[in-house]
This record gives sequence, C-alpha cells and structure tokens, in this order.
Amino acid sequence: MRLLSVLGLLLCACAHAQHTGHAQSSGPARVELASSATFDAQGVLWAVHKIGGHVMLRRSADAGKSWSAPKPVNAAPEGIGAEGDARPKIAAGTRGELYVTWTKPLAKPYTGEIRFARSLDGGASFSVPITVHADRQEITHRFDALTVTRDGKLFVAWIDKRDMDAAGKEGKYRGAAVYFAVSDDRGASFRGDYKLADYSCECCRIGLLPRDDGSVLALWRHVFEPNVRDHALGVMYADGRAGTVWRATFDEWAVDICPHHGPSLAADERGRLHAVWFTQGAKRSGVFYGRLRMNGQSGEPGVDGLRPVGDDTAAHADVAVSGSTVVVAWKAFDGTRSRLRAMVSADGGNTWRERDLRTTSGASDQPRMLRHGARLFAFWHTQLEGFTVTPVTPVTPLTTVMP
Amino acid sequence: MGAALVLALPGDCAAATAVTGELLPFDANSLAALRKSHAGKPFVLAFWSVYCEPCRDEMAEWDAVKRKHPALALELISTDAPADRALIDAFLKKYPPGPVRQWVFADAVSERVRYAVDKSWRGELPKSYFFDAAHRVEVKSGKVDRAWVDGWLPRQTPR
Repeated sequence: MRLLSVLGLLLCACAHAQHTGHAQSSGPARVELASSATFDAQGVLWAVHKIGGHVMLRRSADAGKSWSAPKPVNAAPEGIGAEGDARPKIAAGTRGELYVTWTKPLAKPYTGEIRFARSLDGGASFSVPITVHADRQEITHRFDALTVTRDGKLFVAWIDKRDMDAAGKEGKYRGAAVYFAVSDDRGASFRGDYKLADYSCECCRIGLLPRDDGSVLALWRHVFEPNVRDHALGVMYADGRAGTVWRATFDEWAVDICPHHGPSLAADERGRLHAVWFTQGAKRSGVFYGRLRMNGQSGEPGVDGLRPVGDDTAAHADVAVSGSTVVVAWKAFDGTRSRLRAMVSADGGNTWRERDLRTTSGASDQPRMLRHGARLFAFWHTQLEGFTVTPVTPVTPLTTVMP
Repeated sequence: MGAALVLALPGDCAAATAVTGELLPFDANSLAALRKSHAGKPFVLAFWSVYCEPCRDEMAEWDAVKRKHPALALELISTDAPADRALIDAFLKKYPPGPVRQWVFADAVSERVRYAVDKSWRGELPKSYFFDAAHRVEVKSGKVDRAWVDGWLPRQTPR
C-alpha cells in the first residue's frame, strides 16, 4: 500500500502542489472581447465593449474600416458583466440617441443590476448610469436585452430571479423569469418592472424583435416542465402588458445546465419569424435555423424550414433579415483557427448557400449580424484583428452550395 | 476493489492537493497527458465555471461521489481563466467539492481547449467525461447523476 501511495503521489503531483502554492495565479489574463454594435439611422456604426470597469464606446463612419479611440460610457468604474452571453448592449434611437445597457454584477454570485446610460449628443457625453429596474434586492437581474420600437420607445428585458427567491427552496420554481421595463422619454426614466414570463433559463441571452404595432417580441430559452430547456416566444406591450407565452422550439432538451447560448430572432417582409438557436435535445443536437410559427399563424405552433447550422463546432449563431434575404452567421473552429461562417438565403429561408467570411488564430467573441438599410453585415470582435465588419449582402459569389 | 482504482488516486494524496489550493493549468495538451498518466485506468473530467449556476449543486454531488469512491480519479476543471483565481477560490470555499485535483483553462482561445476534449462541446456546463479503463468515453451534460456514477464505476473494475 505504501508503494501504491507513493505512485499516487507522483500521479497527482500533490507533493509539488504543497511547494508551489499559488504559482498558477499569474497565468494569462482573461481576454475581454464581449461587445455589441449597431448602425444609427445615418449609417454611423457604434460599438461598445468592456475595458476594466468601463463600457467603452467607439465610432466608425466607414462601416468598420476605421474606428475612433474608445471613450468611456460610465465615468465612474463599476463591474460590467462580460462572460458567456453577457455583454454591454447598444441601440440607436429614432432621433439620434445612443442607448447603452449592461449588467453590473453585485457581491453575491449570479446577482446583478441592469444599468443604463444614454447620449443625446451623438456620443459626446453620456448620462450618469441608472438602474433600470425598481427592484433593488441583491438577486439576479442579468442578461439585459435592449431594443427601440419604431415610435421611439425603449424596451429593456432581463432575466430576473425575484419570483424564484420568493418561492423559496421548496417552491419548485423552475429557473428564473423574464421581466421588462419601458421608457417613453428617450431613456430619462423607465416604467416597470413588468413580468413577461415565469420559468426562463438562467444564463442565456434574450432575442428581441420590435414589431410594427409598437410591441416587442421576445425569444428566450425557457424551462418547460420538468426541466426542458427549449425556447418560448412572448409579446411585450408598451403599457406593460405581456401577451400569451407559447412554445417556439421542440427539441426536448431536458437537462439542468447552463448553455450560455441564447437564441436570435428576426422577421422578414412578410412578417415571418426567422430564428437560430442551440440545443442538445433528445430530438436533435446542434445549432439550428427555423421559421417559428406563432399561435394563430399557420395553425399550431411549430418550426418550418428547420435545418442544422454549420458543423459540430458551430456556435453562437445570429440571424438578420433584409426583405427576403436571410443571413445566419456563426462561429466554428477547425482545430487551429476560429472561423466566421455564414449561410445566406435570397428566398426567405427556402434555399441556402454557405460561405467563409473570416478566420482568426486568437481568441474571438460571439459574432453579431447588423443591418443598415437593406444591407447586412457580420460584426466580430477578435483578439488579434479588433472589431471586424464583413458585408454579407449584396450576395457575392459563394464557396459552397448546400443541398 | 480492483488494484487499478487503488492506484488511480489515493484519498490522502487528494486531500493534500485540495488543502494547498493549487489550480493546475489545463490546455489543449492536457487531456493527452492525462490519458498517459491514467493509462489503463478509468478517470473523469468534470468541467465547471464560477458563472454556471447548476455547477453549485454539482460540487456537492462530486463530494458525495468521492466519499463513496475515494479511489476515483476525478479531475475538476474550471473553464474560467487563471485571472479569475479569486472567484474560483471563493466558489470552491462556498461549494466544496471535496478532495479532488483542480484545474483551470489556461488558454485565451477556449475553443482550442474544448476542441481537444470534444469538438462538439459548445461550452455548456456542467459537462463531464467518463473515461473507462480503455479510455472509451461517456459524455454527460448537465448535473452529474450520482446513481449513474454508482453504476458506471464498478463496471470499470477489472473482473
């Protein structure tokens, strides 16, 4: 036994551990790339990302070829969530406003506050950040999502755990909830906190889609009974009402897990909903594209045109639509390099072609699709190349024709 | 109890590792090295993160598994960065997994590390890989099922 123990010591190197202690703490620092971008109505591109305790804003007047120096949105440093699906967000208002949100982590694990600041002078200055929600408990208010409706109202949605905490450990509350707040005054103040739905998953981004009637459609990873982490759709109205919540995806992913992998949602000229999402469900596993049926539209809820996105390494897909052109961009890994890939459909998602947009050998963020006018761009923040912006439309010669 | 399991990781040694709080660097070459050091023996890779809520409960499960099967070679790997050391230490203090060897991702390109373990792993957590004595792997997504481990482990013992 003594001999076996000595062998064990060698195997697990614990003698070594006793002497080196904290030697490993000086390893490579976390590379912070989590960012978001948007075009404003004039075609100026704005991006936000985290540097230390600041959300930094950068501006590009040439669609990402060159960028201004980073400028802090929050003057006083504070915590800024930028792990997994968490990242600062930016949206442009209808009258030149710039709206920025982020999650400020609090001392207790998994807790946070949704923070907001605005600029009414084209990014020259920002308001002192405010907390969007009225609830001030030290609980989860995280994974902010931000959008502006056609009539200029600002919607902020987030993952919220007040109901789970109120239900207590014995309450069997599944996951978290989705709450939202609305601003009618260009972000000077918010009305809330309105509940969209109980039982959301805890750590995935929420996809938002403003609609012509001034409401906002949300797509999020839900926790259906007992622990099925498929997606749900629901409508948020500006007066704080929440529409019926219905099931959007049907993959049967029954698991207690943190996917860190939220969905993306866009609509075409006919109002059809195009979505991408990740699952490892009993029915299918991987990243998928599909058109989501709403209740009352084409009969029962369901998914049309379902198809896999990319290969086994595909991750963090994002979707955008212009007219009947649909673009899905995602990240893949070939063993050496990360690749930004896209699949493009010119006919509303019936037929697709796939192409490589860009590669990098360093670390990289999740990609995001951006739209300016009728044009679609893929935005990708990489460690070595910085902010990259790749035009995806008009459709150019393609490398792969998909079956 | 088979000799292979006794060899894999004696409990007293593991306890010393946990006390020192060492975080070993885990990179794209680490699994190959572990396959070599655990040659002919079963072992488990269990990935987690300070940002993963189900990982909290998972720690207690691993603690229970290790108490029941002290010889199990369990490698607990944080997918956070070495720079997150303070968060990792605080998490492990609050949700102690028991005496197991601790690792942390040591590559800014986390895809590279994940690809070396399982190219279809998109980063969802917790995620566990159970290698049998021949190093055939069974993959578990989500919180580990103690009953399943109780069933899996005896099957690895040479008859």
